[in-house]
Amino acid sequence: MTLSPFTLCVVILVVLAILGLPIGLSMICASIFYLLAAHLDLSTAAEQILNGLFNSYVLLAVPLFILAADLMNSGSLTDRLLKFCLVLVGRFRGGLGHVNVVANIIFAGMSGSAIADAVGIGRIIIGMMTRDGRYPVGYAAAITASAAIIGPIIPPSIPMVVYALVSDTSIGYLFLGGVVPGLMLGIGFMVINTIIARRRNYPVEPPVPLRDIPRITRDAFPALMLPVVLLVGIYGGVMTPTEGAAAAALYALLASTLIYRSLSFRQLYIVLLSSAKATTSVGMLIAGALVFNYVVTIENIPLSVQHFIAGFQLTPFAFLLLVNAILLALGCLLEGTTVLLVIVPILIPPAKMLGVDLVHFGVVVVVNIMIGLLTPPFGLLLFVVANMTKQPLMVIVREALPFIVMAIVVLAIITFVPQTVLWLPTLMGYKH
Amino acid sequence: MSSARRHSLGRWLKRRAENVIVVLIAIMFISFLLQIGFRYLLNRPLGWTDEVTVLCWVWVVLWGAAFILSDEDEIRFDIVYAQVPISARRAFTVISSVALVTLFAISLPATWGYVLFMKREKSAYLGMRFDFLYSIYLIFAVVVMIKHARLAWRALRGIAVPGTKVVEAADTP
Repeated sequence: MTLSPFTLCVVILVVLAILGLPIGLSMICASIFYLLAAHLDLSTAAEQILNGLFNSYVLLAVPLFILAADLMNSGSLTDRLLKFCLVLVGRFRGGLGHVNVVANIIFAGMSGSAIADAVGIGRIIIGMMTRDGRYPVGYAAAITASAAIIGPIIPPSIPMVVYALVSDTSIGYLFLGGVVPGLMLGIGFMVINTIIARRRNYPVEPPVPLRDIPRITRDAFPALMLPVVLLVGIYGGVMTPTEGAAAAALYALLASTLIYRSLSFRQLYIVLLSSAKATTSVGMLIAGALVFNYVVTIENIPLSVQHFIAGFQLTPFAFLLLVNAILLALGCLLEGTTVLLVIVPILIPPAKMLGVDLVHFGVVVVVNIMIGLLTPPFGLLLFVVANMTKQPLMVIVREALPFIVMAIVVLAIITFVPQTVLWLPTLMGYKH
Repeated sequence: MSSARRHSLGRWLKRRAENVIVVLIAIMFISFLLQIGFRYLLNRPLGWTDEVTVLCWVWVVLWGAAFILSDEDEIRFDIVYAQVPISARRAFTVISSVALVTLFAISLPATWGYVLFMKREKSAYLGMRFDFLYSIYLIFAVVVMIKHARLAWRALRGIAVPGTKVVEAADTP
């Protein structure tokens, strides 16, 4: 039996990735092998990567949103925001857990990366929660990781930008579609926090004196205005989401330097460098996916998958259920951007064929991939908080379990009630 | 050259490579802001800013992959790699690195030809030659080959294998 070049290409990709070669480079290597075996021009790999990166204007939002989140975390915007949330929800049982979730919801309105949210907010709130042993470290880590997944679901959102690239959907409508599901997750997590806090008798925060509230609100005001500026800018038609990303970064820069005076030149350099690093890691993955997806396209794989799925005569809902099951399983093993760039493009043609709305599909996929960041063994957020708290992974996983279940319940609701996603985009003029 | 001097030279070069990427990302950011400012505030759209931002993005990705990314920053699937003993990791590293160097080397002549061929084309606004703009890919390919040849060599000699750290909050300060 002879194997087709494409089969060998996939085998090589999987083997190299398992051997520990970075995924972007594994995809480039496997694609070069394919070109060799199929007797195609070997320069195609370079051509696809260079032209692909050069022509993907929307992708510029990725480095800019990373930069914006980094700037917010290094200035003291995050600290001030947390103080403000303490005023709002600190006085309930399990108050700091609520503060964690609410801060993530507000922060989600300015940042598009769950990892950045977990590090930025977690760095401060985990310390607050575990001081004097008020909350178990495992619980503090678990709720921080869980609440961080709201970040890329409420706009802006880096994964949605990547999805828009592979699916040709409007970033603006995708962003709007994430608002209601993101709020649902936030409320769901607060319900879980309330139940656990009651059962374990977690503390209540001392009420903030009334006369301090105006000062705290004034301090947090510039941070609170950023989501408003972004939303009005993007949906008022003033700027594209990519330009919105640049505006957000500028706003965070100005707020940190002029208003809060908390950013030195040296810190700015470090922020730019770390954003560049993060951009490069994601960029290499995108570069690899650009060549690999070219191979997948010339092999007509999406069409084959479409025929294969058509054979089952699935209803749109059965298809979505199947997609959710596949992605949740893959999410345990693969990193989110990889799933978005390699697996999701194959699922888009069948989704289209079955009449699934692509904005709805995109939001479902992104929520699903965010849950993947929380599921072991390869949940990136788990590693981030484990690294921050020096807790064993298993302890965090056990504490995160109720939150993961809640996230899956929300995923089920938005899958079967498309209106939860599409209501807001439709209100703003989306026609599906 | 003594190994200490080689080491400090390496560090010095790495710093300069970091300077370059910081400048690139700063230029990208500033041209974006200029673009928005001129289009919406002054109502005079600039064409070249689009071009500069996209160029910086391509260079940030490939320059960073060549000179900045350390093993810990790379996104990889390391469930298996992290579980196996050091000797197996060495074997893993040798096999994957040799495969990478071989495949990149085979495709290098054609890639070289492609980049040179692009000298006929010039960018729309700034008129820069594309062979120059795309040369970063050649730099990237050669440096990645050298990096992996070195990795394989070190694994064979038993000096070191890449770590298994998955995330080191690399994208935040």
